[in-house]
Amino acid sequence: MQKLQMKKSGIAILMLAVLMIVMTACGGANDNNGNANASSPVAEPTPSVSASPSEEAASTEPVTEDEGTLTVYLNDFDDIIPALFEAATGLKVNVVAGNGAEIMSRVQAEKGNPHWDVVWLDSMPSIYGLGQEGQLLEGWAPENAANLTDAYKAYVPSNSTYFPTGAHAAGVIVYNTNEYTKEQAPKTWKDFASDTFKDDIGMADPAVAAPAFPFVAKFFSDLQMEEGQKFFDSLFSNGMKVYPKNPNVAAALTAGEIKAAALQESNAYSLVKAGEPIGIIWPEEGAPASVRVAAIQKDSKNMNAAKAFINFLLDPATQQQLIDQGEESYFEPSVGGVNAKPDRDPNAKLVAADAAWASEHEAEIKQWFADKAVK
Amino acid sequence: MFRLNQDRLGWLVSLILFVLVLLPLAAVIVQVLLPGVFFGDWQVGDLGLMLEVFKRPLWLKSLEHSIVLACGTTVLATLLGGTLAMIRSSWKFPSARLLDASVWILLITPSFILAQGWVMFAAGGGIAVKVFGWHWVTPAVFQPAGLIVIMTLSKFPLAYLSVHAAMEWKVEQLSEAARLCGASAIRVWRTIQAPLLLPAFLAGAALVFMDTIGDFGLPASIAAVYRYPTLPYSIYSALYTSPIRFDMAGVLSFYLVVLISLAMLLQTYAVKSSRFDFLSARAVPSVPKKAGKLTPYLTIANIAFLLVVIGIPIGANVLMSLFKTQSKGLSLSNLTFSHYRELLDGKTELLTGLWRSLLISSSSALLGLLIGLGIAFVLIYSQFRFKRAIEMMSLVTLAVPGVVLGIGYIFVWNQAWLQSIGLLLYGKPAILVLAAIAGAIPIITRMMVGAMAKVPKSLLDAAQVQGGSLISRVRFILVPLIRGALLSAALAAFGSSVFDLAVNSILFPPNFVTLPVTINKAFEDLNFGYASAATVLGGGIVILIILLLELLLRRKAARK
Repeated sequence: MQKLQMKKSGIAILMLAVLMIVMTACGGANDNNGNANASSPVAEPTPSVSASPSEEAASTEPVTEDEGTLTVYLNDFDDIIPALFEAATGLKVNVVAGNGAEIMSRVQAEKGNPHWDVVWLDSMPSIYGLGQEGQLLEGWAPENAANLTDAYKAYVPSNSTYFPTGAHAAGVIVYNTNEYTKEQAPKTWKDFASDTFKDDIGMADPAVAAPAFPFVAKFFSDLQMEEGQKFFDSLFSNGMKVYPKNPNVAAALTAGEIKAAALQESNAYSLVKAGEPIGIIWPEEGAPASVRVAAIQKDSKNMNAAKAFINFLLDPATQQQLIDQGEESYFEPSVGGVNAKPDRDPNAKLVAADAAWASEHEAEIKQWFADKAVK
Repeated sequence: MFRLNQDRLGWLVSLILFVLVLLPLAAVIVQVLLPGVFFGDWQVGDLGLMLEVFKRPLWLKSLEHSIVLACGTTVLATLLGGTLAMIRSSWKFPSARLLDASVWILLITPSFILAQGWVMFAAGGGIAVKVFGWHWVTPAVFQPAGLIVIMTLSKFPLAYLSVHAAMEWKVEQLSEAARLCGASAIRVWRTIQAPLLLPAFLAGAALVFMDTIGDFGLPASIAAVYRYPTLPYSIYSALYTSPIRFDMAGVLSFYLVVLISLAMLLQTYAVKSSRFDFLSARAVPSVPKKAGKLTPYLTIANIAFLLVVIGIPIGANVLMSLFKTQSKGLSLSNLTFSHYRELLDGKTELLTGLWRSLLISSSSALLGLLIGLGIAFVLIYSQFRFKRAIEMMSLVTLAVPGVVLGIGYIFVWNQAWLQSIGLLLYGKPAILVLAAIAGAIPIITRMMVGAMAKVPKSLLDAAQVQGGSLISRVRFILVPLIRGALLSAALAAFGSSVFDLAVNSILFPPNFVTLPVTINKAFEDLNFGYASAATVLGGGIVILIILLLELLLRRKAARK
């Protein structure tokens, strides 16, 4: 019996040990990260961060101390932003990176008890929707919002729930240079419906790929629902192939399965950089834009750092660093005095759908595309 | 003093399964009824959504596709896996061990990696066309029958293991009696051996069905070339819209659960009507016979088969990891090790992520093993009232897409009141362990059940009569008899959870990136070569660990 007792406690100890390993190992890993952050160069922190939210819109909110470390949910720049932010402000930031849909799933599932302070995504309509639901801080504007160019000031909603940090093409025309010369390649979006390109065109599925929605939304908002559906129907009947995500489009293009496609801008440029035989065409009528915006969670417990983060993103120096060092570095900056990548087409014309319209019709448009998947 | 008995064990595993599996799943399904229940909003949802599945073209098609794909795969994979298992346990041939190893590789490799391999091979500009000039491959693969074949080649291991385990022991006297009475070998097989194996075949079939119907990786990867939306695809598209439709995901998950319940009912019914308790003291371990003249044919057929099921999907991934650019394809000047060098130069988060993934999967495998042992014990030996419910709960995570479970975990483990008792696990690494256990339970439980079914209850009863407690009976009688299966179950659970992307990408805490998340990010950033290299490296390390443990522990067990 005693032996048995020992066995029992043996099992208990084993279980406990396993749990301990998990906890300490995971905790240890966290510490490593913390240290890595700490050791990165800290360039003269701004004197006082809590002072930085010099609210333009007069807010009566009392200044409170932050409770913990700022947590930002984002879909790009996760590898460089913690070091840059700490260098600029002396503040630490935890990031959770994922694709747009994953981040939005987390944000929505956490609604009862949010873990994020700032969300920074290149899907303006979805963030607009969060603002409509009352999940975002309203009526506050960062000092650096004054740096926004006129085009980008227009993107800020009337209740100031989010601020644009830049935009890139949700789709540019790309073609396989082994298949077409520059002259032969499609030059406008309408060309996708032409006989010359029958069965040779591809795009990403707006029902699954986050960046593909702003692309189709622009057509729908210009043409309105019915005409928009007609336009895409004409592409479908021309044998256009729809791939789940942009990387699949890229793979199909380089493999020669399709000869031209609408592809997200940074994907297009990184293919060119990787030495793939890809040409990029910016259509004259403009490429539908994905606007990257940042917003603060209404009940954030780290309000000071969150405000500092938004202000930091609208600093020309920050946007220049994102362009110079980031992986998603092909984008149009939202503030003045920043130079885009030298190899990015200087005449790149971006056109974005109205966020309110796109947000309102998002479910309808996505459902239409999803149902198309069965045809 | 609290003394664990069978009934209490039954309640304990029910409770564990309830918390790990049922609660998160119910949290998503309840969204249909009460969409705002976790945010303090008691408004009743639109129940008409339940019937939408028969109206919306996409949903109806997905349901139809899921059923066709799952049924087709179940039939083919069960036949294939069962036949292979019977050949393997009947005859000795040199490459038999390779077959076993391959089955394990297929079992632990996530389906999206296998599927990607197949796409790289069979797509319009893929290896089959470019290197071998086989233009017929593309149209042959990208059609419903082709998908069923690929699915079969990825899922047959479940049926193989089930049947192979059942053939470990046999009661020769039955067959011998028949042979003495003049029955031919075929007749003996048809009237005696096959009926005795039927339950194992059915169990294998049920596993294949559930794993296929819940698979997102394969239909999603194939969809790149050929659109074949299934229920999991529609679940993803409901979640990937904004405002997010948790209620739609709930409806579709509900139908998935209904489908697998039907499959289980069918299996239970079939097993009941064909159950023979045939193991007796006369049972002998079955030893494969020499194949004689057949040996070379068996070996060649086996190797050819493995070249297809392993060579194509894994080989394509390995090739991809060595290409400089994808478009140049297979040529000497286009080969490089740079992606591997990039992995190992320490600048990337990959190695940290790999280490975390290994820790998480090993802890979940160990904890999962304890839970699985308990579940299987209750299922096999106890008279516990809710055995069926336990069996159901232990299988459900096989069929429900990881992302649904992940969102359910957020709902359950992110409620503010949990903070006060220190159980607000969302945002902590521990939640990844819990989710990994939930994901591993089906595999562990099935393997335990298979092994325990062979240990007669009378052995345990004898010990009980002598006063042995439940734990001592398990510890001193059951565990030594099924040690091999315990090891296999733990290793399978470990291997399969390392790459579990869906759960990881929804649940990973801030600054806590794991291996599958890193791989997926590389893929989304178009670093195909890097993503493949990371997959090959990660998979290689996992397989090495498994082989090492297998070698160390099996040998130790054998020496004893």
